[in-house]
Amino acid sequence: MATNLLAIKGSRDGLRLVLDAAAPWDAVVQGLEAQLERGSAFFHGARITVELGERDIGDDELGQMLAVLRRHRIEAAGLASRSRSSRDTARSAGVAVRAMPRVPTGDRDDRNDAWLVRRTIRSGQVVRHHGNLTIVGDINAGSEVVASGSIIVWGRVRGVVHAGALGDSSCFIGALSLNPPRLGIGDVLSVARGDRSRSHPEVAQVIDGAIVFGAWETTRLR
Amino acid sequence: MSRVITITSGKGGVGKTTSTANLGTALAMQGAKVAVVDADIGLRNLDVVMGLENRIVYDLVDVVEGRCRLRQALIKDKHFSDLYLLPAAQTRDKDAVGPDDMIALANQLRTEFDYVIIDSPAGIEGGFRNAIAGADEVLIVTTPEVSAVRDADRIIGLVEAAEKGSPQLIINRIKPRMVNRGDMMSTEDVLQILAIDLIGAIPDDETIVTSTNRGEVAVLDRASRAGRAFSDVARRIAGEQVPMPTLEDEQGVFDRLFGMLARRPRGSER
Repeated sequence: MATNLLAIKGSRDGLRLVLDAAAPWDAVVQGLEAQLERGSAFFHGARITVELGERDIGDDELGQMLAVLRRHRIEAAGLASRSRSSRDTARSAGVAVRAMPRVPTGDRDDRNDAWLVRRTIRSGQVVRHHGNLTIVGDINAGSEVVASGSIIVWGRVRGVVHAGALGDSSCFIGALSLNPPRLGIGDVLSVARGDRSRSHPEVAQVIDGAIVFGAWETTRLR
Repeated sequence: MSRVITITSGKGGVGKTTSTANLGTALAMQGAKVAVVDADIGLRNLDVVMGLENRIVYDLVDVVEGRCRLRQALIKDKHFSDLYLLPAAQTRDKDAVGPDDMIALANQLRTEFDYVIIDSPAGIEGGFRNAIAGADEVLIVTTPEVSAVRDADRIIGLVEAAEKGSPQLIINRIKPRMVNRGDMMSTEDVLQILAIDLIGAIPDDETIVTSTNRGEVAVLDRASRAGRAFSDVARRIAGEQVPMPTLEDEQGVFDRLFGMLARRPRGSER
């Protein structure tokens, strides 16, 4: 039911949370709370723009929403709304006002789009994407890559990777060499597999509730 | 066309100031007009390494705050009349200047010098951001240690995000014998992680310590291996094609002789 109250969009210009404009505010806030709780692996540390559509909100409502985001360690990157009074509320609270998307994205399933990133992901950097993600380059130690879909890396993985981070354990992670200190798929987590460094292409997926690593050539994706 | 080049590293103590002093001096030896700028406000060092600490009257913060003209703060080098130092303030901290001040300063220096070399403080905060604000290019210094390479990786990400292009790498304090034994990361290991272009590999050299203490930079000493390597980097900066020496060359005749002597007894027992 919460999924009807909000939708997650985008990634290239940052994540957007689209809140239902018609439902009662309390229900929307509850839905938000529930979604962030379930997807904590995905949202933790993110910067998110919130879209309110036509809804008018005052200081109390905004404060309530920001408190929920803060509790889940999310930074409000901005607020977008067609309502002038909501925009004024945001401005006076020091929240950046963003434009609403010109064309509504509708019900298109973002998950079917893969994002191609062509660079080295360096220490301290976080790449977060709602959907499938392909990285051409290494994921270096001290960095983090999080996707709600599957992750394929044409390079070496030495940083933290988490696929299916909104709770989808049918996702997989593939890389030319897979040596993350921590790896997650859906709600299943795995920590580094000893000191042995692996240099052949591998795929990680969840089988019977556990993360299983297999050689690229012999693994059949579920 | 003058160039503003910032030398930075993330981690402290890997040789930023030594690199700045040596590259500035080497470029001046080649005949260029060079200004070296100490952007490590509150922890100034470059003046000591260049042996100019007794000549400081005004500093970078005095220039930015308008207490003196730029020319009054520039200190002429002991050896080269076309090499100048703009020292950092020692009694202030990094918040005394902002990125806009540094851009204005770099542009002012640009009109009079071929090269402006800026020595960055360690870290990723305001001081580092000031140091790269006015730069056209960035050189990253690292040593072949995991901690230094990790910090260099972080800094490269920040430099790229600041749209300064892809920085070039100086690997400092390489110990060929440790690399050969597999006890130290090799140049290739470091490049594999950082994935940027190498502009210099500097061997570990004790003469750096003595030259730093005396305030005479290593490139002035023809016997210094590190000094020769820094001269090569300066020639590469100027656009010359200078081949990278292999480990064997860096190891030196003396070390190789030592290696042979050390191996012989074991061989004779057999």
